[in-house]
Amino acid sequence: MRQWWVRPAVRIGAALLLPFAVPLIITLLIWALPGDPASIICPPESCGGTAALAERWHLDAGPMSFFSHWMGQALQGDLGESWRFLQGESVSVLVREAVPTTLILMALALLPMGLASALGAKNAIPEKADPVLQVVGLVPAIVLALAAAAVVEVNYGTMSFAGEARWARILAGAAVLGLADGVFSGAVTGTRGLFRSEDQQRYVGIAILRGERKLPNTLPNVAPALAGQLRARCLHMLSGAVVVEAVLRIDGLGDLLWNGALWQDFGVVLAAATGFAGLSSLLLVVQALTEVLVAVHVRRAPAGVLS
Amino acid sequence: MSRGDASQVNRLPAGMLAAGCLLLLLAAAAMAPEHLPDVNPDLRYAQPSALPPFGADAAGRSLLHYATQGARVAVVPAIVAGLVVGVLAVIGGLLRAMGLRRIDGWIQGLGEIVGALPRMVVVLVIALILPRDARVLLPLALTWALLAAPGAMDEAAAVAERLGGARFVEALRAHGYSAPRIFLVHVVALNLRPVVVRQMAEVTMQVIFLEIALSYLALAQDQPSFTHPDSLKSWADLLNLGYTWLVFDDVQTGHALALGVALIGIVSVMALATGRAARAR
Repeated sequence: MRQWWVRPAVRIGAALLLPFAVPLIITLLIWALPGDPASIICPPESCGGTAALAERWHLDAGPMSFFSHWMGQALQGDLGESWRFLQGESVSVLVREAVPTTLILMALALLPMGLASALGAKNAIPEKADPVLQVVGLVPAIVLALAAAAVVEVNYGTMSFAGEARWARILAGAAVLGLADGVFSGAVTGTRGLFRSEDQQRYVGIAILRGERKLPNTLPNVAPALAGQLRARCLHMLSGAVVVEAVLRIDGLGDLLWNGALWQDFGVVLAAATGFAGLSSLLLVVQALTEVLVAVHVRRAPAGVLS
Repeated sequence: MSRGDASQVNRLPAGMLAAGCLLLLLAAAAMAPEHLPDVNPDLRYAQPSALPPFGADAAGRSLLHYATQGARVAVVPAIVAGLVVGVLAVIGGLLRAMGLRRIDGWIQGLGEIVGALPRMVVVLVIALILPRDARVLLPLALTWALLAAPGAMDEAAAVAERLGGARFVEALRAHGYSAPRIFLVHVVALNLRPVVVRQMAEVTMQVIFLEIALSYLALAQDQPSFTHPDSLKSWADLLNLGYTWLVFDDVQTGHALALGVALIGIVSVMALATGRAARAR
């Protein structure tokens, strides 16, 4: 039987690896493609003399030289400059401004998802409502985001990005992320399914006969699976955040990544993708910690059993 | 009526609905013209009553062409992505059924790492490195399929595990069944089918939505799309036309929004109905 600490240890290892692996893979991908990396990143018809650009962007000495230079600078807090999107602007500043917005957006989007999970755990939404939930869950983020953007722009104007309008955009974005692409419906049905199958275990019936409550008994056993579901949904929401931020024009990491990709700004994409890798690592760490806490909890003798 | 007959009766309408939606989308893709017709100012923003069946855009061109070209851009790559996920899910299920723990473990580990990143981030990185003259949906659809595959393989493996895994296969062998019958009929067709077909349908739907999202975002910034050449229109163009109607009072393009949402609805219904049609008895 596998030791309890193997899974959390693998997750922590992956979390440490991810922010290094993502920029490395992107760099290797560029060099793996046929042709000169400088021409791929910025075609000669758009950028002119690629030899000079290759030297300026450290693309002239191979992938590992480029990666080690970029990573060395990144570890000192310097993510370089934007190559094309906002030419010459510091990417570190752009990322520093974008990350808090995305974190706020994600934190607010967790509210509807958390509510859905609580309703699912308490079995508060009857199974008869599942077809309705399923249909609502099919609505893609782009459609809900457009509707939300229309509401915000009709009320605040199309060029309103500060103060109350900014918060309206963030709140609308969070609502879209929490509802679209099956996040809400998946949280209800997924959590309900987990608790329902756990409730059928024999120990739950015994606990009830002993006068104990169901939830404190089942929660430690479902917590690792719940944490896994939560991480999967958060990842899904991070993916959706790119669309939601770009449609609602929220200046977050997703919007930055989108603009970087659209303008073929390799400097911005590399930094934004690494930022997303960092957020993914954070989710892996949270899941690993949950698994460790549960393992520690279930290894203590439950009060009452030995008395 | 036997139990099997009853479930077949229940699954038949869903199957017919799914097949109908798929045929409609394929027919639309096949009908798509290479280029939009010439501008006709007399039919500017024509409503469906004035220019059946769907009305016209700001240049008086029928929205029917938008719908068919959008289907041409998205439907075939989405189906290919669905098939890739289906094949990989079957492999995941078969590995568990064969009891090949080591390979299964490696694939699970790889899936954990691949699945640790938001899919849209990976798709955008791939979009970034695609040459401008090779901007089609297929590479992005395949990327999406590969990112969705670990989840599908995991679910199929869980089904095979619940079935009894290698012990189930051994039991059937003991009954004298041949390997193709055991794996293709009993494992894949009878047990993995509901999961595999649902995953295929979901990924097909997700890729179509991905195309719409990527095209819309590029369109909103007046940039070329990652998914199709400029000569073609996407369903995102319909949403974009409709969005102007939502925000500005003087633009009468509500019919474009209705058509865009209806097409998205058809894709969603197809995915939902396919999943129901393939459901276990």
